[in-house]
Parts: sequence; structure tokens; C-alpha cells
Amino acid sequence: MAELQGLGAKLSEAERAGVEIVAISPDPNERSQRVADGLKLGYRFLADPDLAVARRYGLVHARGGPEGQDVPRPATVVLDKDGIVRWFSVARNYQVRPDPADVLRAVRALDGPRP
Amino acid sequence: MAVGAVAAYALLLRVPVVRNHPEAYVVAFALATALGVLAVRRARGRRWPAWLALGVAGLLLVVGAWFNFVIARVPDTPTAFRVGAPPPDFTLKDAAGRPVSPADYRGRKPVVLVFYRGYW
Repeated sequence: MAELQGLGAKLSEAERAGVEIVAISPDPNERSQRVADGLKLGYRFLADPDLAVARRYGLVHARGGPEGQDVPRPATVVLDKDGIVRWFSVARNYQVRPDPADVLRAVRALDGPRP
Repeated sequence: MAVGAVAAYALLLRVPVVRNHPEAYVVAFALATALGVLAVRRARGRRWPAWLALGVAGLLLVVGAWFNFVIARVPDTPTAFRVGAPPPDFTLKDAAGRPVSPADYRGRKPVVLVFYRGYW
């Protein structure tokens, strides 16, 4: 969650940049919504309960959860306006997440300032 | 002092630069412990409480290194992301039950996808 809070702290800037931040986790919808409300984040939370999307993206950490369940590998992906991947980062250590400043830099590098 | 150290650790872990370089803080902790050993060896008088404290610090160091390098490691897997190519599309439901797909934003705005492990 730490990286979500970090990104959240920068969110007003990201919003100004006109970016949609989509957070995906196996958490049930209502719970993610509560998390979002609690942190006052403007994210779109999507539930991937059976890790179907994580699996398709190659982002499954098999038996990585505390009860030995599969969990997603933390990852951040920046897509440009045309849906093309411009930058991404996938965790090799679950404590290590991209610095929100790096994500913002990748977003800003997409095509400069927009109106 | 121990309470201060724990508080400092908790605070520092919130700084991305610190959290993102576990090897650096393990090395820093190892250096601090080694300095402590040198200091205690040179000290006069009753030294066993200091050795005890250093023993605890050494144990914490080993546990910390084990956690950072073994437990927190995420196995590398081939991912579907290639810079310059679109990722496979998907549709998932948002909190209100509405289907959302990255393709919905195509031609409208950039998207940052954040995959996270969730609250347990």
C-alpha cells in the first residue's frame, strides 16, 4: 500500500497532467473502495479477484501471500494516449516500488505539457 | 534509545529512497554494528551489558538481511509489457461494478496501471 500512498501524495500533480490512475489488486471491490475513500485517492480501483489479468500479464508471484496464496507481482505501467506502453517497472523485491517521482517523470515525458 | 531507533526505522521506511534500497540499509546497519563492536572492545569496566546489546543488534541484522534478501524477493517472471507495444487489453469491474478497460481511454488520456498486492 505504501506506493499507493506515495502516488496519492502526488496525485494532484498527476491529475493536472490529465492521467488516469488505475489500481488493480485481488481485493474485493467494496474493500478497495473503502481503501480509496480512506486515503482520499482519486484512483479507479479494479478488482482482479482470481488474478486473471495478473496471470495474462505475467505478474503472478506464486504462493507469495502470507497464507501461501498467489499474489500479483507489484508493477507500474505507463500507457500513452494511444494505449502504448511507454514505461514500466516490475518488482523484484516486494518492498521495492518505483519512486512516485519516477512515475510522474515517465508520465510527463509522454508528449510534453498538454492544454 | 531502542525506542528511538525503532521509531526512526519506521519513519525512514516511509521514504521511497530508503525503502527502495534494502541492501544499503542492511550494509549501514552492519557497519554500525561493527563500529559498536570496536567501541565495546576498547571500553573499560563492565562490558557484558554492551556485548548483550550488540548480540541483540547482530541478531536483528541477520533477521533483517534474511527478510530483505530472501523473504521479500519476488521471483522474476516474463511479463507481457514491451515498451513501444500495447499490452493485452482486459476488462475488470470497478468498485461500482462498472466494467473498465484500458482501451476505454485510448485516444483520450494516458493511463498508469498500478498492480498491487492488496490489503490482507
